[in-house]
Amino acid sequence: MSTIPFQQAKLIELYCLEPVFFASRELSDTYYTEGVIGNYALTYALGLVNSPYRLQGQATGRPTYKEDLQPIARDFYILPASPLDKIAFRFERFNALSDAYWYSMTNNRVATAREDLPLQRQGKKPNSFRPSNFPQTGKLRMIERGNRFQTLVFGNSQLPDYIRLGKFMSKVKVNILNESSVNLLPEGEYQSQHYLNATDLPQQLETLAFDLISIPPAPIIKNLRFRGCAWQIDETIIPADLHFCGRGSSNE
Amino acid sequence: MSIQKLSSVLATTYENFPKGRFITLVVLRTTHSETIFRTEGSGEPMCSEFVQAGLEGENQKTIIQRLVMTKRKQIAPERRYGREHLRAHELLYTNSKDGSLCSLNTNSPCEMCVDCFLYGFAAGGGGAQKSRIWTEDAFSILPASDVVGDRTINAIYENGTMRDEKSNASTALNTSEYIKPGVHFLDVVTLKDVTADELRYVVGNILFTSRYGAVSSRVGRMENQILGVFGSITELPSSLELVQATYDVLGKPLEHPLNSNQLITASQQAIANWRNRRGVSVHLSEAELVNLIADVETHWSEAERDSFLKRLSQSYESFRQVAAEKKKTKSKGKNTPVEVES
Repeated sequence: MSTIPFQQAKLIELYCLEPVFFASRELSDTYYTEGVIGNYALTYALGLVNSPYRLQGQATGRPTYKEDLQPIARDFYILPASPLDKIAFRFERFNALSDAYWYSMTNNRVATAREDLPLQRQGKKPNSFRPSNFPQTGKLRMIERGNRFQTLVFGNSQLPDYIRLGKFMSKVKVNILNESSVNLLPEGEYQSQHYLNATDLPQQLETLAFDLISIPPAPIIKNLRFRGCAWQIDETIIPADLHFCGRGSSNE
Repeated sequence: MSIQKLSSVLATTYENFPKGRFITLVVLRTTHSETIFRTEGSGEPMCSEFVQAGLEGENQKTIIQRLVMTKRKQIAPERRYGREHLRAHELLYTNSKDGSLCSLNTNSPCEMCVDCFLYGFAAGGGGAQKSRIWTEDAFSILPASDVVGDRTINAIYENGTMRDEKSNASTALNTSEYIKPGVHFLDVVTLKDVTADELRYVVGNILFTSRYGAVSSRVGRMENQILGVFGSITELPSSLELVQATYDVLGKPLEHPLNSNQLITASQQAIANWRNRRGVSVHLSEAELVNLIADVETHWSEAERDSFLKRLSQSYESFRQVAAEKKKTKSKGKNTPVEVES
Protein backbone atom coordinates (compact mmCIF):
# COMPACT_ATOMS: atom_id res chain seq x y z
CA MET A 1 0.00 0.00 0.00
CA SER A 2 2.67 2.45 0.98
CA THR A 3 5.06 1.56 -1.83
CA ILE A 4 4.80 3.52 -5.01
CA PRO A 5 5.62 1.38 -8.04
CA PHE A 6 6.53 4.44 -10.09
CA GLN A 7 9.01 7.03 -8.80
CA GLN A 8 8.66 9.43 -11.70
CA ALA A 9 5.87 10.64 -13.90
CA LYS A 10 6.20 12.57 -17.14
CA LEU A 11 3.70 15.20 -18.07
CA ILE A 12 3.20 14.98 -21.83
CA GLU A 13 1.27 16.98 -24.34
CA LEU A 14 -0.30 15.39 -27.40
CA TYR A 15 -0.64 17.77 -30.32
CA CYS A 16 -3.01 16.60 -33.08
CA LEU A 17 -1.34 17.15 -36.44
CA GLU A 18 -4.31 15.55 -38.15
CA PRO A 19 -7.98 15.10 -37.26
CA VAL A 20 -8.33 12.12 -34.92
CA PHE A 21 -11.24 9.69 -35.13
CA PHE A 22 -12.50 7.06 -32.71
CA ALA A 23 -15.95 5.51 -32.93
CA SER A 24 -16.94 6.51 -29.40
CA ARG A 25 -20.63 6.67 -30.23
CA GLU A 26 -22.57 5.72 -33.32
CA LEU A 27 -25.84 7.51 -33.99
CA SER A 28 -27.49 6.39 -37.21
CA ASP A 29 -24.99 7.25 -39.93
CA THR A 30 -23.03 9.69 -37.77
CA TYR A 31 -19.96 8.49 -35.93
CA TYR A 32 -18.94 10.54 -32.93
CA THR A 33 -15.51 10.91 -31.35
CA GLU A 34 -15.56 11.99 -27.71
CA GLY A 35 -13.12 14.69 -26.60
CA VAL A 36 -10.81 12.29 -24.81
CA ILE A 37 -8.15 9.78 -25.77
CA GLY A 38 -8.35 6.49 -23.92
CA ASN A 39 -5.25 5.20 -22.16
CA TYR A 40 -5.45 1.75 -23.74
CA ALA A 41 -5.37 3.35 -27.18
CA LEU A 42 -2.36 5.40 -26.09
CA THR A 43 -0.49 2.35 -24.80
CA TYR A 44 -0.91 0.60 -28.15
CA ALA A 45 -0.04 3.77 -30.04
CA LEU A 46 3.15 4.33 -28.03
CA GLY A 47 4.27 0.87 -29.07
CA LEU A 48 4.50 -0.50 -25.54
CA VAL A 49 2.41 -3.51 -26.38
CA ASN A 50 2.49 -5.31 -29.66
CA SER A 51 -0.51 -5.49 -31.87
CA PRO A 52 -0.41 -7.83 -34.84
CA TYR A 53 -1.04 -6.70 -38.39
CA ARG A 54 -3.64 -9.38 -38.97
CA LEU A 55 -6.24 -10.75 -36.62
CA GLN A 56 -7.21 -14.31 -37.32
CA GLY A 57 -9.16 -17.11 -35.75
CA GLN A 58 -9.96 -16.61 -32.08
CA ALA A 59 -8.35 -13.18 -31.96
CA THR A 60 -11.25 -11.77 -33.98
CA GLY A 61 -13.73 -12.82 -31.31
CA ARG A 62 -12.73 -10.42 -28.55
CA PRO A 63 -10.05 -7.85 -27.77
CA THR A 64 -7.05 -8.87 -25.66
CA TYR A 65 -6.60 -5.87 -23.35
CA LYS A 66 -5.98 -7.99 -20.25
CA GLU A 67 -3.46 -10.28 -21.94
CA ASP A 68 -1.66 -7.32 -23.50
CA LEU A 69 -1.72 -4.79 -20.70
CA GLN A 70 -1.37 -6.77 -17.47
CA PRO A 71 2.20 -7.98 -18.19
CA ILE A 72 3.44 -4.37 -18.36
CA ALA A 73 1.20 -3.01 -15.59
CA ARG A 74 4.09 -2.93 -13.06
CA ASP A 75 6.46 -1.05 -15.37
CA PHE A 76 4.21 1.39 -17.11
CA TYR A 77 1.01 3.31 -16.71
CA ILE A 78 -0.59 6.16 -18.60
CA LEU A 79 -3.71 8.14 -17.78
CA PRO A 80 -6.40 8.87 -20.38
CA ALA A 81 -5.54 12.15 -22.10
CA SER A 82 -7.73 15.12 -21.28
CA PRO A 83 -8.14 18.16 -23.52
CA LEU A 84 -6.17 21.25 -22.56
CA ASP A 85 -8.56 23.85 -23.88
CA LYS A 86 -12.15 23.65 -24.97
CA ILE A 87 -12.06 20.92 -27.55
CA ALA A 88 -12.80 21.67 -31.19
CA PHE A 89 -14.47 19.10 -33.39
CA ARG A 90 -14.93 18.88 -37.12
CA PHE A 91 -17.52 17.07 -39.17
CA GLU A 92 -16.60 15.26 -42.33
CA ARG A 93 -18.65 13.30 -44.78
CA PHE A 94 -17.34 10.08 -46.22
CA ASN A 95 -18.49 7.76 -48.94
CA ALA A 96 -16.98 4.58 -50.23
CA LEU A 97 -16.55 3.75 -53.88
CA SER A 98 -15.96 0.48 -55.63
CA ASP A 99 -13.20 -0.17 -58.14
CA ALA A 100 -15.72 -1.11 -60.83
CA TYR A 101 -16.64 1.21 -63.69
CA TRP A 102 -20.36 0.68 -63.07
CA TYR A 103 -21.76 0.94 -59.58
CA SER A 104 -24.96 1.83 -57.82
CA MET A 105 -25.56 3.08 -54.31
CA THR A 106 -28.21 0.81 -52.80
CA ASN A 107 -29.07 -0.03 -49.19
CA ASN A 108 -25.93 1.36 -47.66
CA ARG A 109 -23.97 -0.64 -50.15
CA VAL A 110 -22.10 -0.06 -53.36
CA ALA A 111 -23.48 -2.65 -55.77
CA THR A 112 -21.22 -3.51 -58.69
CA ALA A 113 -22.96 -6.45 -60.39
CA ARG A 114 -24.71 -4.76 -63.28
CA GLU A 115 -26.42 -8.02 -64.30
CA ASP A 116 -28.34 -7.95 -60.99
CA LEU A 117 -30.03 -4.64 -61.80
CA PRO A 118 -32.96 -6.06 -63.84
CA LEU A 119 -33.64 -8.57 -61.05
CA GLN A 120 -33.60 -5.80 -58.49
CA ARG A 121 -36.07 -3.77 -60.53
CA GLN A 122 -38.44 -6.75 -60.54
CA GLY A 123 -38.52 -6.52 -56.78
CA LYS A 124 -36.18 -9.46 -56.23
CA LYS A 125 -33.22 -9.08 -53.92
CA PRO A 126 -30.01 -10.29 -55.49
CA ASN A 127 -27.16 -10.69 -53.04
CA SER A 128 -25.19 -7.75 -54.30
CA PHE A 129 -28.10 -5.37 -53.55
CA ARG A 130 -28.69 -6.48 -49.95
CA PRO A 131 -27.85 -3.96 -47.23
CA SER A 132 -24.26 -3.87 -46.12
CA ASN A 133 -23.37 -4.38 -42.47
CA PHE A 134 -20.61 -1.81 -42.47
CA PRO A 135 -20.93 1.86 -43.28
CA GLN A 136 -20.52 2.91 -46.90
CA THR A 137 -21.53 6.49 -46.34
CA GLY A 138 -22.01 8.76 -43.35
CA LYS A 139 -20.59 11.56 -41.28
CA LEU A 140 -17.66 11.56 -38.91
CA ARG A 141 -17.24 13.84 -35.94
CA MET A 142 -13.51 14.04 -35.42
CA ILE A 143 -11.18 15.76 -32.98
CA GLU A 144 -9.97 18.74 -34.99
CA ARG A 145 -6.39 19.25 -36.07
CA GLY A 146 -4.52 21.45 -33.60
CA ASN A 147 -6.23 20.23 -30.44
CA ARG A 148 -3.95 19.63 -27.50
CA PHE A 149 -4.29 16.93 -24.89
CA GLN A 150 -2.35 16.37 -21.71
CA THR A 151 -1.63 13.22 -19.81
CA LEU A 152 0.73 11.65 -17.28
CA VAL A 153 3.05 8.77 -18.08
CA PHE A 154 4.39 6.62 -15.24
CA GLY A 155 7.51 4.51 -15.64
CA ASN A 156 10.80 4.92 -17.45
CA SER A 157 9.92 3.94 -21.00
CA GLN A 158 11.26 6.05 -23.85
CA LEU A 159 8.57 7.86 -25.79
CA PRO A 160 8.54 8.37 -29.56
CA ASP A 161 8.30 11.86 -31.06
CA TYR A 162 5.23 10.99 -33.09
CA ILE A 163 2.46 8.46 -32.66
CA ARG A 164 -0.52 7.37 -34.74
CA LEU A 165 -3.96 7.44 -33.19
CA GLY A 166 -7.43 6.30 -34.03
CA LYS A 167 -9.16 4.51 -36.82
CA PHE A 168 -7.38 6.51 -39.51
CA MET A 169 -3.91 6.35 -37.96
CA SER A 170 -3.74 10.13 -37.54
CA LYS A 171 -0.38 11.62 -36.76
CA VAL A 172 0.02 13.11 -33.29
CA LYS A 173 3.12 14.82 -31.90
CA VAL A 174 4.30 13.85 -28.42
CA ASN A 175 5.92 16.66 -26.39
CA ILE A 176 7.39 15.89 -22.99
CA LEU A 177 6.67 18.93 -20.81
CA ASN A 178 8.33 17.97 -17.55
CA GLU A 179 9.17 15.15 -15.22
CA SER A 180 8.21 15.09 -11.56
CA SER A 181 8.29 12.70 -8.67
CA VAL A 182 5.24 10.84 -7.45
CA ASN A 183 4.29 11.53 -3.84
CA LEU A 184 2.00 9.39 -1.76
CA LEU A 185 -0.72 11.21 0.18
CA PRO A 186 -2.28 9.53 3.23
CA GLU A 187 -5.81 8.25 3.25
CA GLY A 188 -8.33 11.01 3.03
CA GLU A 189 -10.94 12.65 0.87
CA TYR A 190 -9.65 14.10 -2.40
CA GLN A 191 -10.86 15.59 -5.61
CA SER A 192 -9.13 14.51 -8.82
CA GLN A 193 -9.02 16.84 -11.83
CA HIS A 194 -7.61 14.35 -14.25
CA TYR A 195 -9.50 11.94 -16.51
CA LEU A 196 -9.35 8.36 -15.22
CA ASN A 197 -10.14 4.97 -16.66
CA ALA A 198 -12.89 3.31 -14.62
CA THR A 199 -11.39 -0.16 -15.11
CA ASP A 200 -8.00 0.88 -13.75
CA LEU A 201 -9.14 2.18 -10.36
CA PRO A 202 -8.00 0.07 -7.41
CA GLN A 203 -10.79 -1.97 -5.93
CA GLN A 204 -10.58 -0.68 -2.38
CA LEU A 205 -11.11 2.89 -3.56
CA GLU A 206 -14.24 4.58 -2.29
CA THR A 207 -15.73 6.72 -5.04
CA LEU A 208 -18.04 9.46 -3.85
CA ALA A 209 -19.01 11.39 -6.96
CA PHE A 210 -17.89 11.61 -10.58
CA ASP A 211 -18.93 12.39 -14.13
CA LEU A 212 -18.89 9.55 -16.61
CA ILE A 213 -17.91 9.61 -20.27
CA SER A 214 -19.31 6.38 -21.57
CA ILE A 215 -17.08 5.10 -24.35
CA PRO A 216 -15.77 1.69 -25.34
CA PRO A 217 -13.80 -0.24 -24.23
CA ALA A 218 -13.94 1.27 -20.73
CA PRO A 219 -15.77 4.34 -19.42
CA ILE A 220 -13.73 7.41 -18.56
CA ILE A 221 -14.32 9.16 -15.26
CA LYS A 222 -13.78 12.85 -14.61
CA ASN A 223 -14.14 15.16 -11.60
CA LEU A 224 -13.79 12.21 -9.28
CA ARG A 225 -14.22 12.81 -5.55
CA PHE A 226 -12.90 9.83 -3.64
CA ARG A 227 -11.79 8.56 -0.23
CA GLY A 228 -8.55 6.62 -0.05
CA CYS A 229 -4.84 7.06 -0.64
CA ALA A 230 -3.73 9.35 -3.41
CA TRP A 231 -0.74 10.10 -5.59
CA GLN A 232 0.34 13.67 -6.07
CA ILE A 233 2.34 14.74 -9.10
CA ASP A 234 2.94 18.49 -8.91
CA GLU A 235 -0.57 19.92 -8.72
CA THR A 236 -2.32 16.80 -9.95
CA ILE A 237 -4.00 14.48 -7.48
CA ILE A 238 -5.13 11.04 -8.58
CA PRO A 239 -6.12 7.88 -6.70
CA ALA A 240 -3.15 5.76 -5.63
CA ASP A 241 -2.33 2.35 -7.10
CA LEU A 242 -3.82 2.97 -10.50
CA HIS A 243 -2.82 0.22 -12.88
CA PHE A 244 -4.10 -1.44 -16.02
CA CYS A 245 -7.27 -3.49 -15.45
CA GLY A 246 -6.93 -2.85 -11.68
CA ARG A 247 -10.58 -3.46 -11.06
CA GLY A 248 -10.81 -6.46 -13.35
CA SER A 249 -7.84 -8.39 -12.01
CA SER A 250 -8.81 -8.18 -8.34
CA ASN A 251 -12.19 -9.63 -9.17
CA GLU A 252 -10.70 -12.85 -10.36
CA MET B 1 21.17 -0.99 -56.46
CA SER B 2 20.24 1.49 -53.78
CA ILE B 3 17.37 -0.63 -52.50
CA GLN B 4 20.15 -2.58 -50.76
CA LYS B 5 21.03 0.51 -48.79
CA LEU B 6 17.60 0.30 -47.24
CA SER B 7 18.00 -3.36 -46.28
CA SER B 8 18.38 -2.57 -42.57
CA VAL B 9 14.88 -1.11 -42.53
CA LEU B 10 13.31 -3.57 -44.95
CA ALA B 11 11.62 -6.78 -43.86
CA THR B 12 12.86 -10.01 -45.45
CA THR B 13 9.35 -11.39 -45.46
CA TYR B 14 5.89 -10.36 -44.33
CA GLU B 15 5.44 -10.99 -40.61
CA ASN B 16 2.33 -10.52 -38.56
CA PHE B 17 3.92 -8.51 -35.75
CA PRO B 18 5.42 -5.05 -36.12
CA LYS B 19 9.18 -4.77 -35.78
CA GLY B 20 9.77 -1.03 -35.77
CA ARG B 21 11.02 -0.57 -39.32
CA PHE B 22 9.92 2.70 -40.85
CA ILE B 23 10.49 3.94 -44.38
CA THR B 24 9.45 7.51 -44.99
CA LEU B 25 8.77 8.82 -48.48
CA VAL B 26 8.67 12.57 -49.02
CA VAL B 27 6.30 13.11 -51.92
CA LEU B 28 5.65 16.23 -53.96
CA ARG B 29 2.24 16.17 -55.59
CA THR B 30 1.66 18.76 -58.32
CA THR B 31 -1.70 19.38 -59.97
CA HIS B 32 -1.50 19.33 -63.77
CA SER B 33 -5.09 20.24 -64.41
CA GLU B 34 -8.05 21.63 -62.54
CA THR B 35 -8.58 19.46 -59.49
CA ILE B 36 -11.38 19.13 -56.97
CA PHE B 37 -10.87 18.08 -53.35
CA ARG B 38 -13.93 18.63 -51.21
CA THR B 39 -15.67 16.67 -48.49
CA GLU B 40 -19.09 18.27 -48.33
CA GLY B 41 -20.52 17.52 -51.75
CA SER B 42 -20.78 19.48 -54.99
CA GLY B 43 -21.00 23.23 -54.84
CA GLU B 44 -19.17 23.32 -51.51
CA PRO B 45 -15.79 24.99 -51.11
CA MET B 46 -12.51 23.10 -51.42
CA CYS B 47 -11.08 21.24 -48.45
CA SER B 48 -8.94 23.73 -46.57
CA GLU B 49 -7.59 24.46 -43.15
CA PHE B 50 -6.29 27.48 -41.24
CA VAL B 51 -2.74 26.71 -40.12
CA GLN B 52 0.48 28.48 -39.16
CA ALA B 53 2.27 29.63 -42.29
CA GLY B 54 5.70 28.52 -41.07
CA LEU B 55 7.64 27.39 -38.04
CA GLU B 56 9.97 30.33 -37.45
CA GLY B 57 9.86 34.07 -36.85
CA GLU B 58 7.00 36.02 -38.36
CA ASN B 59 5.79 32.98 -40.29
CA GLN B 60 5.01 31.30 -37.00
CA LYS B 61 2.53 34.03 -36.08
CA THR B 62 0.95 34.31 -39.52
CA ILE B 63 -2.11 32.16 -40.00
CA ILE B 64 -3.00 31.21 -43.56
CA GLN B 65 -5.65 29.01 -45.10
CA ARG B 66 -4.07 26.05 -46.92
CA LEU B 67 -5.67 23.53 -49.21
CA VAL B 68 -5.79 20.00 -47.86
CA MET B 69 -5.58 16.77 -49.80
CA THR B 70 -6.97 14.35 -47.24
CA LYS B 71 -5.33 11.02 -46.60
CA ARG B 72 -8.18 8.95 -47.98
CA LYS B 73 -8.12 10.91 -51.23
CA GLN B 74 -4.51 9.80 -51.67
CA ILE B 75 -4.69 6.17 -50.68
CA ALA B 76 -7.89 5.24 -52.56
CA PRO B 77 -6.74 5.94 -56.14
CA GLU B 78 -3.26 4.62 -55.39
CA ARG B 79 -4.40 1.25 -54.15
CA ARG B 80 -6.93 1.07 -56.98
CA TYR B 81 -4.05 1.55 -59.41
CA GLY B 82 -2.20 -1.43 -57.97
CA ARG B 83 -5.36 -3.50 -57.99
CA GLU B 84 -5.87 -2.83 -61.70
CA HIS B 85 -2.67 -4.71 -62.36
CA LEU B 86 -3.37 -7.44 -59.83
CA ARG B 87 -6.64 -8.00 -61.67
CA ALA B 88 -4.95 -7.97 -65.08
CA HIS B 89 -2.38 -10.54 -63.95
CA GLU B 90 -5.02 -12.64 -62.21
CA LEU B 91 -3.60 -12.16 -58.75
CA LEU B 92 -6.87 -11.28 -57.02
CA TYR B 93 -8.37 -14.22 -55.16
CA THR B 94 -11.95 -15.28 -54.70
CA ASN B 95 -13.52 -14.70 -51.35
CA SER B 96 -14.10 -17.92 -49.37
CA LYS B 97 -17.55 -16.88 -48.14
CA ASP B 98 -19.46 -16.12 -51.30
CA GLY B 99 -16.99 -16.99 -54.02
CA SER B 100 -16.85 -13.46 -55.43
CA LEU B 101 -13.65 -11.92 -56.70
CA CYS B 102 -11.80 -9.60 -54.30
CA SER B 103 -13.11 -6.06 -54.60
CA LEU B 104 -13.10 -2.93 -52.50
CA ASN B 105 -16.11 -1.96 -50.39
CA THR B 106 -18.32 -4.90 -51.22
CA ASN B 107 -17.92 -6.86 -48.02
CA SER B 108 -15.82 -9.46 -49.77
CA PRO B 109 -12.08 -8.87 -49.45
CA CYS B 110 -10.21 -12.01 -50.47
CA GLU B 111 -7.76 -11.55 -47.58
CA MET B 112 -5.06 -13.13 -49.73
CA CYS B 113 -4.00 -10.74 -52.47
CA VAL B 114 -1.13 -8.25 -52.39
CA ASP B 115 -3.54 -5.36 -51.82
CA CYS B 116 -5.22 -7.06 -48.86
CA PHE B 117 -1.87 -7.84 -47.23
CA LEU B 118 -0.39 -4.39 -47.77
CA TYR B 119 -3.23 -1.89 -47.49
CA GLY B 120 -5.44 -3.99 -45.19
CA PHE B 121 -9.11 -4.80 -44.89
CA ALA B 122 -11.67 -4.84 -42.09
CA ALA B 123 -14.94 -6.12 -43.45
CA GLY B 124 -16.29 -9.59 -42.91
CA GLY B 125 -16.27 -11.79 -39.85
CA GLY B 126 -13.00 -13.55 -40.53
CA GLY B 127 -10.65 -10.97 -39.07
CA ALA B 128 -8.91 -7.84 -40.15
CA GLN B 129 -5.59 -6.68 -41.51
CA LYS B 130 -4.04 -3.37 -40.56
CA SER B 131 -2.66 -1.21 -43.29
CA ARG B 132 1.11 -0.92 -43.36
CA ILE B 133 0.91 2.17 -45.57
CA TRP B 134 0.29 5.27 -43.48
CA THR B 135 -0.66 8.44 -45.26
CA GLU B 136 -1.16 11.96 -44.00
CA ASP B 137 -3.21 14.93 -45.00
CA ALA B 138 -1.08 16.85 -47.51
CA PHE B 139 -1.04 20.66 -47.55
CA SER B 140 -0.56 23.19 -50.29
CA ILE B 141 2.44 25.49 -49.96
CA LEU B 142 0.50 28.59 -50.98
CA PRO B 143 -2.64 29.94 -49.32
CA ALA B 144 -5.96 28.63 -50.63
CA SER B 145 -7.03 32.10 -51.76
CA ASP B 146 -4.11 32.19 -54.25
CA VAL B 147 -4.69 28.81 -55.84
CA VAL B 148 -8.46 28.34 -55.98
CA GLY B 149 -10.55 29.51 -58.92
CA ASP B 150 -14.22 29.48 -59.89
CA ARG B 151 -15.76 27.82 -62.90
CA THR B 152 -19.27 28.11 -64.20
CA ILE B 153 -20.62 24.87 -65.54
CA ASN B 154 -23.49 24.83 -67.98
CA ALA B 155 -24.62 21.63 -69.59
CA ILE B 156 -26.26 22.41 -72.90
CA TYR B 157 -28.78 20.19 -74.69
CA GLU B 158 -27.82 18.24 -77.78
CA ASN B 159 -29.22 21.01 -79.97
CA GLY B 160 -26.44 23.21 -78.63
CA THR B 161 -28.54 25.58 -76.57
CA MET B 162 -29.74 25.88 -73.00
CA ARG B 163 -33.32 25.17 -74.12
CA ASP B 164 -34.63 21.78 -75.20
CA GLU B 165 -37.03 21.09 -78.11
CA LYS B 166 -40.03 22.03 -75.95
CA SER B 167 -38.12 25.24 -75.08
CA ASN B 168 -37.79 24.36 -71.40
CA ALA B 169 -34.80 26.13 -69.88
CA SER B 170 -31.94 23.98 -68.63
CA THR B 171 -31.33 23.98 -64.90
CA ALA B 172 -27.85 22.63 -65.37
CA LEU B 173 -26.06 25.81 -64.47
CA ASN B 174 -23.71 25.88 -61.56
CA THR B 175 -20.64 27.56 -60.21
CA SER B 176 -18.01 25.42 -58.63
CA GLU B 177 -14.61 25.95 -57.04
CA TYR B 178 -11.56 24.20 -58.36
CA ILE B 179 -7.86 24.00 -57.58
CA LYS B 180 -5.70 25.58 -60.26
CA PRO B 181 -3.12 23.59 -62.23
CA GLY B 182 0.45 23.87 -60.95
CA VAL B 183 -0.40 23.77 -57.25
CA HIS B 184 2.09 21.94 -55.06
CA PHE B 185 1.20 19.66 -52.17
CA LEU B 186 3.95 18.30 -49.95
CA ASP B 187 3.36 14.98 -48.33
CA VAL B 188 4.92 12.40 -46.04
CA VAL B 189 4.08 8.72 -46.57
CA THR B 190 5.20 6.18 -43.97
CA LEU B 191 5.68 2.49 -44.78
CA LYS B 192 5.95 0.01 -41.92
CA ASP B 193 7.73 -3.35 -42.07
CA VAL B 194 7.58 -3.66 -45.84
CA THR B 195 9.76 -5.96 -47.94
CA ALA B 196 11.80 -4.78 -50.92
CA ASP B 197 9.14 -5.96 -53.38
CA GLU B 198 6.37 -4.37 -51.33
CA LEU B 199 8.33 -1.11 -51.38
CA ARG B 200 8.59 -1.34 -55.18
CA TYR B 201 4.86 -2.00 -55.38
CA VAL B 202 3.90 0.97 -53.20
CA VAL B 203 6.36 3.39 -54.82
CA GLY B 204 5.04 2.24 -58.21
CA ASN B 205 1.47 2.95 -57.12
CA ILE B 206 2.44 6.45 -56.01
CA LEU B 207 4.46 7.27 -59.12
CA PHE B 208 2.01 5.89 -61.67
CA THR B 209 -1.27 7.11 -60.20
CA SER B 210 -2.23 10.19 -62.16
CA ARG B 211 -5.75 11.20 -61.18
CA TYR B 212 -7.15 12.24 -57.84
CA GLY B 213 -10.24 13.82 -56.37
CA ALA B 214 -13.74 14.30 -57.72
CA VAL B 215 -14.75 13.91 -61.38
CA SER B 216 -11.39 12.30 -62.04
CA SER B 217 -12.40 11.16 -65.51
CA ARG B 218 -12.44 14.85 -66.54
CA VAL B 219 -10.17 16.69 -64.14
CA GLY B 220 -7.82 15.84 -61.29
CA ARG B 221 -4.60 15.18 -63.20
CA MET B 222 -1.71 15.08 -60.78
CA GLU B 223 2.00 14.29 -60.96
CA ASN B 224 3.80 12.66 -58.06
CA GLN B 225 7.50 12.95 -57.42
CA ILE B 226 9.55 11.40 -54.65
CA LEU B 227 11.93 13.93 -53.11
CA GLY B 228 13.42 11.86 -50.32
CA VAL B 229 13.54 8.41 -48.77
CA PHE B 230 14.46 7.82 -45.14
CA GLY B 231 14.86 4.67 -43.09
CA SER B 232 14.36 4.92 -39.34
CA ILE B 233 13.06 3.34 -36.17
CA THR B 234 10.62 6.17 -35.51
CA GLU B 235 8.27 8.35 -37.46
CA LEU B 236 9.56 11.54 -39.02
CA PRO B 237 7.86 14.97 -38.99
CA SER B 238 4.40 15.40 -40.43
CA SER B 239 3.31 16.77 -43.79
CA LEU B 240 2.22 19.97 -42.11
CA GLU B 241 5.61 20.53 -40.47
CA LEU B 242 7.30 19.76 -43.79
CA VAL B 243 5.18 22.33 -45.61
CA GLN B 244 5.82 24.91 -42.90
CA ALA B 245 9.58 24.29 -42.87
CA THR B 246 9.68 24.55 -46.66
CA TYR B 247 7.67 27.77 -46.52
CA ASP B 248 10.27 29.18 -44.10
CA VAL B 249 13.11 28.31 -46.48
CA LEU B 250 11.34 29.79 -49.49
CA GLY B 251 11.07 33.15 -47.75
CA LYS B 252 10.01 36.29 -49.66
CA PRO B 253 6.41 36.91 -50.72
CA LEU B 254 5.33 33.96 -52.84
CA GLU B 255 2.81 33.85 -55.60
CA HIS B 256 1.18 31.29 -57.86
CA PRO B 257 2.54 29.67 -60.01
CA LEU B 258 5.45 28.62 -57.85
CA ASN B 259 8.63 27.58 -59.59
CA SER B 260 8.89 23.80 -59.16
CA ASN B 261 12.68 23.68 -59.07
CA GLN B 262 12.91 26.38 -56.42
CA LEU B 263 10.36 24.52 -54.37
CA ILE B 264 12.19 21.20 -54.71
CA THR B 265 15.47 22.81 -53.63
CA ALA B 266 13.74 24.42 -50.66
CA SER B 267 12.05 21.24 -49.50
CA GLN B 268 15.27 19.28 -49.90
CA GLN B 269 16.94 21.84 -47.68
CA ALA B 270 14.11 21.42 -45.18
CA ILE B 271 14.46 17.64 -45.05
CA ALA B 272 18.27 17.67 -45.06
CA ASN B 273 18.40 18.01 -41.27
CA TRP B 274 15.96 15.13 -40.80
CA ARG B 275 18.89 12.77 -41.24
CA ASN B 276 20.23 13.94 -37.87
CA ARG B 277 16.96 13.28 -36.12
CA ARG B 278 16.63 10.69 -33.41
CA GLY B 279 16.24 7.19 -34.84
CA VAL B 280 17.10 7.92 -38.47
CA SER B 281 19.58 5.40 -39.90
CA VAL B 282 19.31 5.75 -43.68
CA HIS B 283 18.89 8.73 -45.96
CA LEU B 284 19.13 8.09 -49.68
CA SER B 285 21.30 10.54 -51.58
CA GLU B 286 20.04 12.10 -54.77
CA ALA B 287 21.85 9.55 -56.94
CA GLU B 288 20.57 6.67 -54.84
CA LEU B 289 17.05 8.03 -55.13
CA VAL B 290 17.35 8.12 -58.92
CA ASN B 291 18.57 4.52 -58.75
CA LEU B 292 15.63 3.48 -56.61
CA ILE B 293 13.11 5.06 -58.98
CA ALA B 294 14.83 3.36 -61.94
CA ASP B 295 14.69 0.06 -60.06
CA VAL B 296 10.96 0.51 -59.45
CA GLU B 297 10.35 1.43 -63.07
CA THR B 298 12.22 -1.66 -64.31
CA HIS B 299 10.16 -3.92 -62.08
CA TRP B 300 6.93 -2.32 -63.31
CA SER B 301 8.03 -2.41 -66.97
CA GLU B 302 6.15 -4.44 -69.54
CA ALA B 303 8.89 -7.05 -69.61
CA GLU B 304 9.14 -7.63 -65.87
CA ARG B 305 5.78 -6.64 -64.45
CA ASP B 306 4.23 -10.09 -64.67
CA SER B 307 7.08 -11.88 -62.91
CA PHE B 308 7.46 -9.07 -60.38
CA LEU B 309 3.80 -9.08 -59.33
CA LYS B 310 3.68 -12.87 -59.28
CA ARG B 311 6.82 -13.03 -57.15
CA LEU B 312 5.34 -10.50 -54.73
CA SER B 313 2.08 -12.41 -54.57
CA GLN B 314 3.99 -15.67 -54.09
CA SER B 315 5.78 -14.23 -51.06
CA TYR B 316 2.54 -14.43 -49.03
CA GLU B 317 1.99 -18.08 -49.91
CA SER B 318 2.93 -19.51 -46.51
CA PHE B 319 0.54 -17.10 -44.78
CA ARG B 320 -2.30 -18.14 -47.03
CA GLN B 321 -1.69 -21.77 -46.21
CA VAL B 322 -1.86 -21.12 -42.49
CA ALA B 323 -5.32 -19.65 -42.91
CA ALA B 324 -6.42 -22.54 -45.11
CA GLU B 325 -5.21 -25.13 -42.60
CA LYS B 326 -7.05 -23.42 -39.77
CA LYS B 327 -10.24 -23.70 -41.71
CA LYS B 328 -9.59 -27.37 -42.34
CA THR B 329 -9.16 -28.13 -38.65
CA LYS B 330 -12.40 -26.33 -37.93
CA SER B 331 -14.32 -28.40 -40.42
CA LYS B 332 -12.77 -31.63 -39.17
CA GLY B 333 -14.44 -31.07 -35.84
CA LYS B 334 -13.41 -31.04 -32.24
CA ASN B 335 -11.11 -34.07 -32.40
CA THR B 336 -8.19 -32.21 -33.86
CA PRO B 337 -6.83 -30.59 -30.67
CA VAL B 338 -6.60 -34.03 -29.07
CA GLU B 339 -4.56 -35.27 -31.99
CA VAL B 340 -2.16 -32.37 -31.56
CA GLU B 341 -1.66 -33.14 -27.90
CA SER B 342 -1.01 -36.86 -28.31
